[in-house]
Amino acid sequence: MGVLQYVAKRVGLYLAVLFIGLTITFLLPRIMPTNPIDGYIGQIQARASGALTAEAIAQLRANLEELYGLRGDLFSQYVGFLQRVIFHFDFGPSFAFYPQSVSQIIFTALPWTLGLLLVSTVIAWLLGNLVGLVAGYFHTKRAGSVIEIVGILLYPIPYYILALTVILLLSYVIPLFPLSPSFPAGQMTLTKFGMVIFNSLLPALTLILAGFGWNILSMKALAVATTEEPYVIYSRLKGTSNWTRMMSYVFRNAMLPQVTALALSLGTIFNGALLTEMLFSYPGVGLIMRTAASAGDYNVLYGAITISIIAVATAGLVIDLIYPLLDPRIRHK
Amino acid sequence: MAKLSRYLLAPLAAVLLAGASYAQDMTDVGTPRNQTLIVQTFDGKTANPDAQNPLNNYAIWRGFRELGWSFLWEMDTATGKSYPELAADMPEVLNPEHTKFRIKIRPGVYWSDGVEFTVDDILYTLDTSFKYKDKLSFVFRAVGYIKEGSWKKIDNYTFEVETQAPAYDFNTVMGVYSWGSLFVPVPKHIFEPLGDQVVTFKNAPAVTLGPYKIKEFDPNGSWQLWEKRDDWQRSGWGNLGEPKPKYVLYKDFGAEETRTLAFVQNQYDEDTFMSPDSIAAAKAKNPAIETFSPTLPYHDMNDACSYGIYFNQQKAPFDKPEVRWALALSLDLQTVGITSVSGQFKPAALPIADTPITNPVFYKPLESFLNDLTLSDGYKPFNANFGQELVDKLKTQGTPESELPTGDAVKAGFGAGWWKYDLAEAEKLMNAAGMKKGADGFYTKPDGSPWTFEFTIPSDWNKVMQRVGFSVADAWRKAGFNVTARQVDNGEFTTVQQTNARLDAMVNWSNTCVYNSNWLNSWNSFNAGFVKPADSTEVLNGNYLRVTDPAIFDLVKASTSMEIGSDPFVKNGQEIAKKLTLGMQEINLMNIPTTIPTNSTYWKNYPKQANFYAAPYTWWSSFKKTLINIEPTGK
Repeated sequence: MGVLQYVAKRVGLYLAVLFIGLTITFLLPRIMPTNPIDGYIGQIQARASGALTAEAIAQLRANLEELYGLRGDLFSQYVGFLQRVIFHFDFGPSFAFYPQSVSQIIFTALPWTLGLLLVSTVIAWLLGNLVGLVAGYFHTKRAGSVIEIVGILLYPIPYYILALTVILLLSYVIPLFPLSPSFPAGQMTLTKFGMVIFNSLLPALTLILAGFGWNILSMKALAVATTEEPYVIYSRLKGTSNWTRMMSYVFRNAMLPQVTALALSLGTIFNGALLTEMLFSYPGVGLIMRTAASAGDYNVLYGAITISIIAVATAGLVIDLIYPLLDPRIRHK
Repeated sequence: MAKLSRYLLAPLAAVLLAGASYAQDMTDVGTPRNQTLIVQTFDGKTANPDAQNPLNNYAIWRGFRELGWSFLWEMDTATGKSYPELAADMPEVLNPEHTKFRIKIRPGVYWSDGVEFTVDDILYTLDTSFKYKDKLSFVFRAVGYIKEGSWKKIDNYTFEVETQAPAYDFNTVMGVYSWGSLFVPVPKHIFEPLGDQVVTFKNAPAVTLGPYKIKEFDPNGSWQLWEKRDDWQRSGWGNLGEPKPKYVLYKDFGAEETRTLAFVQNQYDEDTFMSPDSIAAAKAKNPAIETFSPTLPYHDMNDACSYGIYFNQQKAPFDKPEVRWALALSLDLQTVGITSVSGQFKPAALPIADTPITNPVFYKPLESFLNDLTLSDGYKPFNANFGQELVDKLKTQGTPESELPTGDAVKAGFGAGWWKYDLAEAEKLMNAAGMKKGADGFYTKPDGSPWTFEFTIPSDWNKVMQRVGFSVADAWRKAGFNVTARQVDNGEFTTVQQTNARLDAMVNWSNTCVYNSNWLNSWNSFNAGFVKPADSTEVLNGNYLRVTDPAIFDLVKASTSMEIGSDPFVKNGQEIAKKLTLGMQEINLMNIPTTIPTNSTYWKNYPKQANFYAAPYTWWSSFKKTLINIEPTGK
């Protein structure tokens, strides 16, 4: 198969995934048992202590259907949706926060999510894999077992418990970090940037700890198996150093599935981290998606899920495209 | 998650809570802590913090009603009486039909940018509301109430206006009823130059009429800082007195677990709907943390609404009063209240909350009605001794006597009584309705086929109702009702509430919201136009109790032409309450327990049971009374 043919096939698959994803994204919220207009009217009624007259509610309902673009049949709404998303990347206004635009809501939150999750995911991956590699390569040594125990201890702890334990220890018992940080507003200055970094350390540490254990265990298992491969034994007999064998022979081969896992987890970070946002008062798209789902805010869901689909599909495409560079067996197929 | 935190994390927190309370000099938004009142936001974070245009859906829970806006009339939540705020007096009625009004406003009130507030601002707000009524999402109340184009400026401080129908509630529709008003005057000098752009105008930071102005807000929606205006005396309610805090910070302190820890650390002063378990844990570690009352039920019970069970009364067998009564008598509400809210509740038998304001209007006059109430088979279902029995039960379960009410306080704390728990009578009533228990122990339909029904309850967006709902469902199943409790998100909750085809029974509050004698505020939707067939998928825009009694409709209609609070008006309200109760058209359960613990490290004299100068809610416009009455501790 030629390179061009390989790339074209992958890109075609990518576009098909996007199209199917967008279509499902459009349909799913509409079969949810929640109606955004009902949700909004419920809020309004609660604010009015139930005092709104039925006529006022009927009028409001008609106005909202018009404003939200929910008039017309499903097909015409679908066509309009595809046109807006594909050609203008426009998801319209939020229903729950009308007239706020979906793009503004998401793009205000997204840098926070990306900043935290991107950094912590990569650090957890790097640390976990390096530690796992050492543990796997030296698996016959006691230190290797000790490192494995760290992974075994960390990996099964539910994130919620891990996060609360970290908060209790580092924000309450030893109050090094704020319990509920206030991220600064206004023009970003060096001091404010420092505050952002400081306030992000605790959630980042927790996410790293949560991701660290799995990476240790999986890399250790891969490294142990790879260490026993004939080409590694052969290189040892040829007199290569431990460092060379570990990095060039074991790590390079063992990291292939780990790279796939990293790419997929990088794709999913666009979903945000709901528990992190809730427990650490951290801004992000997770809470926005949760609020949108409970309020039936289709447009926000469309926006957030579409970005997520694009991210995951793109991550898959990138992996497909760079895999031949990492793995010569694919390159020479 | 709720269970996890209750059973697993509470003990963990108790072990680790090491009394790490400490004093702070500055808040993390850079204001002196002892000059800043800090409250937990009602809605956590918001995604639209820069939406500050009150003509549209805006970031309402960031202090706007309490600190920023000002209203024509406000309500004294300690008494339920209205008083003029921006208005100079109560509205003057100009015709016998009660449709024309003259309103005078106070001169000398200024916006936060220094421009004087005049009638022009009010009339511009009305003009704009009508002009863009199909594009602005928050103007429907005035648009549905005021007659279009009827307003007329008399002078800078006087205007006249007409309503679409006779209006005896002008001051509570165009002003505040209980927690806020849907008519918020906007500054003409800011809005008018925008022309048609007013429909998308965000208005951030808003120019305000209240004594506070916005100093800064988090673009991510987790906090908003207000600063007292230098000219607070000429603000919309500066005439009430000086608000004490120089700054007020509305902030989300995150999940309840971190909120509790932050509260123990004195990081904020007032919480919103913290769970009783967390409050108990926090109180144990920080003596400055207090509940509304030192004795049970500990919390404020004066919300306008009450929790109750609503039925699809058009659908068999809920159309039979015997079945609804059987369901009521199958509830051991003492056990329900103890298991769901640790006994921290105030039962209410009438379809209205039992508060110091509603009690003399409804509960006291209807005391003999409740005591004498007799079902068709001669059975008297009311248990006037419910409160004392609850006290005794709590005592046997280990509640310290010092925390239990005694004497008259039992009635004040645990209400005037509730229905008996009588499974034998419930079975008798079910049998009278032709429904007998089958071999599996569950009641069957009259034809002997299995009968199941769905009980809709909130998921964890309302934890108290969720717990109460599960406990009710559990009691019913034990009594032989094959019920399934279904948790739903708030959007679906509203859909079920207003769609007959989706409703069997649900726990709800929205049609039982009566703060004072103005019962019409909640029950005005009882009319024949809002009765739909049992399986209708059409949206119901009111009458969520599914009342069908023409006599009730007539009482409501007649009352719309009566002076609110007049004897005949109140009598009609009592008559409706009696009819709803006789038919058990709603199983009213309890007042809404509003858990608002306070921390008196930096501020004191919050509203409490023994010092009830205002409803203690930080998200009601009456919070202004709290700001005026609290005092710095000097720390």
